[in-house]
Amino acid sequence: MKALPYASTADSHIAHLVRRHRQHSSPLAAIGPYLYLAPAMILVAGFLLYPALDTAYLSLTNAHGVSQPKFIGFENYAAFFTDPAVITSLENTLVWVIATLLFPVGLGLAVAVLVNRIPGENLFKSIFYLPYAVSLTSTGVLWSFILSPYGVLNAFLGAVGLGRWAISWLIVPPANTYAMIGATTWQSMGTNMVLFLVGLKSIPAEPVEAARVDGAGNWQTFRSVTWPLLRPFTAIVVAMAVINSFKVFDIIWVMTQGGPYRSSETLAVTMYRDAFVLFQSGYGSAIAMFLSAIVISLTVVLLRTSLREEVA
Amino acid sequence: MVAPRRPHRRSPTAWAATVLASLLALLWLTPLLFNVMNAVKSQRDFMQGSALSWPHSFALWSNIAYAWTTAQLGPGFVNSLVYASVGAATAIVVSALAAYALAVLRIRGAFVLFFVIYSGTIFPFQMYLIPLYKAYLSTGLYDTHLGLILFYSAIATPFCLFVLRNHFSTITPEVREAAQLDGCSRPGILWHIYLPLASPSAAVLFLFQFTWIWNDLIFGMTLASSASVRPVMAALATLRGVYGGTDVPAVLVAALLASVPTVVLFFILQRYFIQGLKLRAVG
Repeated sequence: MKALPYASTADSHIAHLVRRHRQHSSPLAAIGPYLYLAPAMILVAGFLLYPALDTAYLSLTNAHGVSQPKFIGFENYAAFFTDPAVITSLENTLVWVIATLLFPVGLGLAVAVLVNRIPGENLFKSIFYLPYAVSLTSTGVLWSFILSPYGVLNAFLGAVGLGRWAISWLIVPPANTYAMIGATTWQSMGTNMVLFLVGLKSIPAEPVEAARVDGAGNWQTFRSVTWPLLRPFTAIVVAMAVINSFKVFDIIWVMTQGGPYRSSETLAVTMYRDAFVLFQSGYGSAIAMFLSAIVISLTVVLLRTSLREEVA
Repeated sequence: MVAPRRPHRRSPTAWAATVLASLLALLWLTPLLFNVMNAVKSQRDFMQGSALSWPHSFALWSNIAYAWTTAQLGPGFVNSLVYASVGAATAIVVSALAAYALAVLRIRGAFVLFFVIYSGTIFPFQMYLIPLYKAYLSTGLYDTHLGLILFYSAIATPFCLFVLRNHFSTITPEVREAAQLDGCSRPGILWHIYLPLASPSAAVLFLFQFTWIWNDLIFGMTLASSASVRPVMAALATLRGVYGGTDVPAVLVAALLASVPTVVLFFILQRYFIQGLKLRAVG
């Protein structure tokens, strides 16, 4: 029992005594508080933590189909280096990460600066943010139609005389990956824009005005005043976007299922295909572990960065 | 600190920015526009015209009926309403109880226990899939409503606990001690004092977890298979595979229908969406 830090008033002292009396009055009282924790602990341990641990174990076995798994050490991990599916998948994942920084994040910043304090700002904000309310699965279906051979994009290219640019966007690599990045940009740019706008609004007016009085142009003001002051927000947006882009799954599964011939898979899709289409659960678990190692180390970096920003 | 609201810019560059933003906004709305335009076409109209052509028919209602019944989006839609509301509510209740134990009753080892539960937010979903699938098959939870509700409640819990625990620890202990003196029991204090005080957080959490569960594809696809159990996004993904080449307008209608609840919530609760996004960003 901890001493009360504010036990100066008589009232709280009495409360303290009352509580002590209650807590020692029955044996149930000692475990009572833990009962409040039990449902959450059971749910999380049973449905999240146990599966995660089991995946870690399975990744060291040759589990597949129905046969009894055998312990094989790190063989699954060693097999990554010679598996063309994993190598292509890793390359695609890196393309997703870089493209996510360029488009949803970079464009999000540009649009935030563009619409900040212009007439109709709230309307623009809603329009760009609206696709975020459309799920990634729906986005995938809608964009599959736009990008299909006789879809909106090719019809448009034909109509403006660029018919020879029309291709089967979702069939030809690497265009299929870029096309899906385009769809993702449409869906998620708005969230980054909203976070950057929050950042822009939090910048005090004085330094910006001071720079203008000193004769700095728009670009100069942005580069030497706004951008440095926005840094804490940029750090969070970038970190979140990078972590999410490593985990991209829904939109690829809906638009190409990682195909054709596994050409547009990312790590999350490769894991799903190996585990649930090819029934290689041991190998699939090893890919899941690999993906987790990347994502968790990035999360740690994010937490440390945002903590440091808070202290500074 | 929120900076005082500044007036709109009125310079020529501001007008140039408005024009540019309008063009970009138009570009952002175009995909939705063409999807809606093609979603209302009859199958025949769609096959005859180009994707850009204006609809000559209005088959929205029959397309909805087709997507809902024949293509079996309907059961998925209803299932997801149940999963998302029951799952989000269960997670909040379970988290409120746990947050009370951790932040108010200050049980021994509170921080470690919190961290154990919170670690449920750091893994990519691929870490859960294979063992869950196997365990669901062997326990009979596979392809059942209960199985999905339990899982969605579990996966929503760590983040709810994070937010509610933070909220509870900002409430001064004197409030509780005063209530105790008045003879209020432990569950009574949680119910009458802490929950009402945390209800704004709980509302944002409910909205966010509802949306998350509604939009989930991968777990719905892995833990259920039949049309009567699988959630809406899994139904939609199957639909695209089965009907995607044949009845495009119906598939487009299905994709739009599946987004209706989240888009409606978005318009009603836009402010909270942004608040929730900020919660996420700092969480």
